[in-house]
Amino acid sequence: MVAIETLMNWLITALAFGSTVLGGYVGYQAYRGYRRHNSRAMQYLSVGLFCLTAVAFVVAFVGSVFLRQGLLPSQFQQPLTLVTRAFQFVGVLFIAYSLHYRE
Amino acid sequence: MSEDPAVGDILDLLSDEYARDILAATSVKPMSAKQLADQCEMSQPTVYRRVEWLQEYGLIEEQTQIETGGNDYSVFAATLSEFSLALADGDFETEIERTEPPAFPGQDEQDTADRFTKMWENL
Repeated sequence: MVAIETLMNWLITALAFGSTVLGGYVGYQAYRGYRRHNSRAMQYLSVGLFCLTAVAFVVAFVGSVFLRQGLLPSQFQQPLTLVTRAFQFVGVLFIAYSLHYRE
Repeated sequence: MSEDPAVGDILDLLSDEYARDILAATSVKPMSAKQLADQCEMSQPTVYRRVEWLQEYGLIEEQTQIETGGNDYSVFAATLSEFSLALADGDFETEIERTEPPAFPGQDEQDTADRFTKMWENL
């Protein structure tokens, strides 16, 4: 049972990491689009994608490692989730705004 | 590829200077009848007559320009990309090549960021 649990944990981390890398790639292309065309919509899109994927994952991952190692007291569990969710919310907010942004 | 019209018909059409001017202008970017009338210095009825003629042979296509506010209007874009005439073995053969309209904005961009930008901005 422990083996399956470990495998699942690895899989969860791998998928989260994969989402971050791919999200970062899409965000990077959006950033290049912003630089090449001076497009504000693409600027918002890239910021949104980075917040939603890279930033949210790094905060959640680093935070959970710190919690597990005891570097952060366990009562930080909930605030950490709040920060992660906040980044995700800001991310989709930026993406939604970029959809409606017109020069 | 649609069936090509008779040699004489297509040559008649292409020998018309107004028709050629309209094709030339709309090959750069889609234009409305009014824009064409201004740029090619012809009356709007002349534009409409030529556009209708060109549409008959599928050398131009009508597109709808969506405007925020609901005042959509028609623009015309050339679909002709190449016309060739060959004479061999006692026969004239014409060949018309038409451009494929892009399935989505920015489709023909080579760079991912350019394609992405055009797609996203046109959503």
